[in-house]
Amino acid sequence: MGTQGIRVENLVKNFGQGESLVEVINGASFVVQKGELVALIAPSGAGKTTLLMMIGCVLEPTSGTIWLGEEAVYDGRWIGNDTRRIRREKIGFIFQSHYLIPFMNVIDNVTLLPQTNGLAKDKAHDKAMELLEYLEIAEKAKSMPSQLSGGQNQRVAIARALANEPQIILADEPTAALDVERSVNVVKMLKKIAQEQNVAVIMVTHDERMLAFCDKILKIEDKKIVISKLNDNKHIV
Amino acid sequence: MINLAQKDIAHSLGKFLVTAMGVGMLFGIVLIMIGVYRGMMVDAEILLNDINADLWIVQEDTLGPFAEASRVHEDLKDTLRAFEGIDKSEALTFQNLQLPGETKPIRVTAVGFDVFGKINPINPGRLVAGEPLTKEHYQIVVSEKTGYKVDDTFKLGRDIYRVAGVTRDTVSSGGDLLVYISLKDAQNLQFLYSNARIRSDRARGISETKEAKMANAVVATVRAGYDIDDVANKIKQWKHESVYTRTEQKAILTKNLIERSSKQIGLFTAILVVVSTIIIALIIYTMTLEKMKEISIMKLIGIPNSMIIKMIVQETLILGILAFIFGNLFSHLIYDNFPKRVVLEIPDAWMLFGVVIAASVLSSFIGIAKVIHADPAAAIGG
Repeated sequence: MGTQGIRVENLVKNFGQGESLVEVINGASFVVQKGELVALIAPSGAGKTTLLMMIGCVLEPTSGTIWLGEEAVYDGRWIGNDTRRIRREKIGFIFQSHYLIPFMNVIDNVTLLPQTNGLAKDKAHDKAMELLEYLEIAEKAKSMPSQLSGGQNQRVAIARALANEPQIILADEPTAALDVERSVNVVKMLKKIAQEQNVAVIMVTHDERMLAFCDKILKIEDKKIVISKLNDNKHIV
Repeated sequence: MINLAQKDIAHSLGKFLVTAMGVGMLFGIVLIMIGVYRGMMVDAEILLNDINADLWIVQEDTLGPFAEASRVHEDLKDTLRAFEGIDKSEALTFQNLQLPGETKPIRVTAVGFDVFGKINPINPGRLVAGEPLTKEHYQIVVSEKTGYKVDDTFKLGRDIYRVAGVTRDTVSSGGDLLVYISLKDAQNLQFLYSNARIRSDRARGISETKEAKMANAVVATVRAGYDIDDVANKIKQWKHESVYTRTEQKAILTKNLIERSSKQIGLFTAILVVVSTIIIALIIYTMTLEKMKEISIMKLIGIPNSMIIKMIVQETLILGILAFIFGNLFSHLIYDNFPKRVVLEIPDAWMLFGVVIAASVLSSFIGIAKVIHADPAAAIGG
């Protein structure tokens, strides 16, 4: 197994105060290694999006520690003020819907982040083309998102998530809008990316058929994380 | 670096252009309004410049015929000629008339002057057909906008007049078309009563007045070497009339007469600019709202605020500049169709450009506020 991709320790998230205090996550701890595809499952409202937002440096935890790679990004407070820079440089996001920028074509969507990170236009273009070829959608490089099918758009969204060479990918129900065949293809692709690009991937899913492709399953139960390794015994952390 | 504004505009170019055209029409109206004001200023000075007199001698304690009723004796012109420093002097009348028109009467301002005098208010440069007045009676020179041609005839008062000449761009300070008639005809039209009125007066025991030798003003030029103000003061002192220099008469026209109209136009223009600014702000707000999901995604994946704000500001500025260009085109296309003179001047357009840029920047603040407050978490969770 690879090196540490995501490490979370005693992560707590409460909303409200006093009598209106709501505990959503209470002391979650787990590690996702680089190269792993991990599923995050839970009933609706159990806190999986909240957990994803905290790992993605979008929502500030109440307490706990978060490491992305070897860098601690949260330890009781954000380390460094620019969480957006962390997201830009370390994290790739994939959403339920592709959420590509509709006024930019495929290649512009994929090169947006690398160019924002300071990569020259030509180099960003070459790299984006490599990714699009890797995801077998290079022939659509000049197309607008509105001209592509749902599956094609999701592959472009994956290419965008990979374009800034992230250490982790957070995928929020990436197969929710796809049929079974396309869903399987996307999850296989994420598995391949995790292994070949050495990236830690956390994928929120409701579809149990996709769990077979994952290395590990994180389940939120009673505000804590239950980790299942496939064919392993479950244990609560 | 990818220019987000360029991509966004290119994606919805038609919609963006139509929006810019709509706002541009508002700016076009703003330019027209400013042009109407400029036109009023130009119109106010046409007669003054064409008469080209140094002094205007009018009824005592009045501002003269452009502002209020003024009557002076015609023979004042002869007295003035004997005055030290006076070169030429002539009597003039100004009166509103209704010329018969095809469908409705045409309101005009008639200037009466001595056809054989030394000061002729008809500017030869404005004469586009026919000739100036050559006879003391029943000739008229009209503005081409009356629709009359040379040798046309029509009844005015008790007499039939023949069109001797046609002028262009001749209007009074009030915007009415100018016509020129002889002083004697003008005096008859203005001061001579109808036969019925004379009979009625006689029946009442009112004796006939000899008012036919009155005028509304006497204009004069000053000999070279004499100070105009000095001559004016002497006339005031000795003749007990109000005397205005050309500059003073111009001030009466522009400040006293046009001031209220110009204020009204100015206020209307200011309201239009404010409305345009609000419309741009609303458009930018709507355009930003339409992109909130994309903005949240951009913020979530790490695009800095500055890049998104740059997109909003650039789009607002481009919208403003395009609207300004369309506004200029629009105003130049329609200005000639207005019944009153519209003068479009480049400095006014530049002034509006400055206002447009300021309004655009101001409008973009609304979009910027939306960007700053956009929640990146809104992109997660569907």
